[in-house]
Amino acid sequence: MRKHLALSAGTAAVALFVSLALTPSPARSQDPLNPSFSAAQAKGKAGGKGALPPGPPGPTPRLPDGKPDLTGIWNGQRTVSQDGPYLQPWAQKLLEQRAVSNYADDFEARCLPGGPPRAAPYHTSLVSTPKLVLMLFEGNTHMFRQFFVDGTNHPKDLKPSWYGDSRAHWDGDTLVVDTIGFNDKSWIDMPGHPHTSQMHLTERFSRPNLGTLNIDITIDDPGAYTKPWIQKRSTTLETNMEMTEYVCNENNQDPVHLDGAHK
Amino acid sequence: MRAQTALSKDSRKTERFAPFALLTAGFGLLVSAVPMLAHHSFAAEYDSKKPVKITGTVSKVEWMNPHARFYVDVKDADGKVTNWNFELGAIPVLLKQGWTKNSLHAGDTVTVQGSMAKDGSSTANATSVVLPDGRRVFGGSSQPGAPGGAAADQ
Repeated sequence: MRKHLALSAGTAAVALFVSLALTPSPARSQDPLNPSFSAAQAKGKAGGKGALPPGPPGPTPRLPDGKPDLTGIWNGQRTVSQDGPYLQPWAQKLLEQRAVSNYADDFEARCLPGGPPRAAPYHTSLVSTPKLVLMLFEGNTHMFRQFFVDGTNHPKDLKPSWYGDSRAHWDGDTLVVDTIGFNDKSWIDMPGHPHTSQMHLTERFSRPNLGTLNIDITIDDPGAYTKPWIQKRSTTLETNMEMTEYVCNENNQDPVHLDGAHK
Repeated sequence: MRAQTALSKDSRKTERFAPFALLTAGFGLLVSAVPMLAHHSFAAEYDSKKPVKITGTVSKVEWMNPHARFYVDVKDADGKVTNWNFELGAIPVLLKQGWTKNSLHAGDTVTVQGSMAKDGSSTANATSVVLPDGRRVFGGSSQPGAPGGAAADQ
């Protein structure tokens, strides 16, 4: 299987290489210094919804118990649709303040955690076992999440934390992850949607085929939103790289240059 | 060795790098498939309206996260040397683009384009680099709309 994946990825890469190398001149005009960069790609990246690299073809892999095996290294997620957010006035004001300040007070810029449900722009690895699913983050803080699929409930008197406490169950072929126990520090996404410690996160993970992972996220936070809102995200399987080391504090020179730090 | 700080888009019309461009098709390929975002907001640190283009000698390379960095000595007409600090993308992003730890070395002569830091320091975000072997490669920049850069913020 691994060899098959490598060959598929290699074939796709060669095909893409040829297509880009032969990019016609009108597309080049978007960036005269980079003829291999097409207009469509430029538009997609600028909008924050650039096309994901294609995932390999194949059926959904399954664990010995028949449940989908979510194991794999996954590319950065894309939001494909959204219902909401339904912001309370204070949350709307804070969101606008963050935009005005160019997001300079983002915790991630200080190498602190970004979420969830905020997704790092780097790889995320999922490791599936029948009773526990692990989510490992390549970027920023090299953190992890634990989705217990063992029938246990959230502990009582949870201490507020960046990633909360996650308990999961299967709904058919969908892993439903229920998370509470958050602090109020992280941002829901890069644009800076806030949340409170009342946030209740429900994430529905499905793998309709070998190369695709879909995550439907419901954000229920009566402290910041007037009603639950939904983000539907998708990503594809990484077949060319392993997870790499990322020690954020090794050389983080950015904070002293951020807006406000030098004024 | 000389420095050229471009504060208008006119410099982008320069076709100086055209002979190298086709050699970078492979990098363009890899870049096209990479969703990227810095661990900080681009606009909080850099000004896309203050482009910079510099040719100089690499004095140091830091192959580290959250951003790889390299430093370039540039001598002006009066002989004064300024050491520029250029930010590249994160290591995972650069690896996907084809960069390696050995892509740049101290002593290399490079031409860099990017955007200057808003605080007026000799710091910039590199959008592209012409390597000593002539290849012009993207810098994994988080600048919105930058070739091979920007992007998926979730």
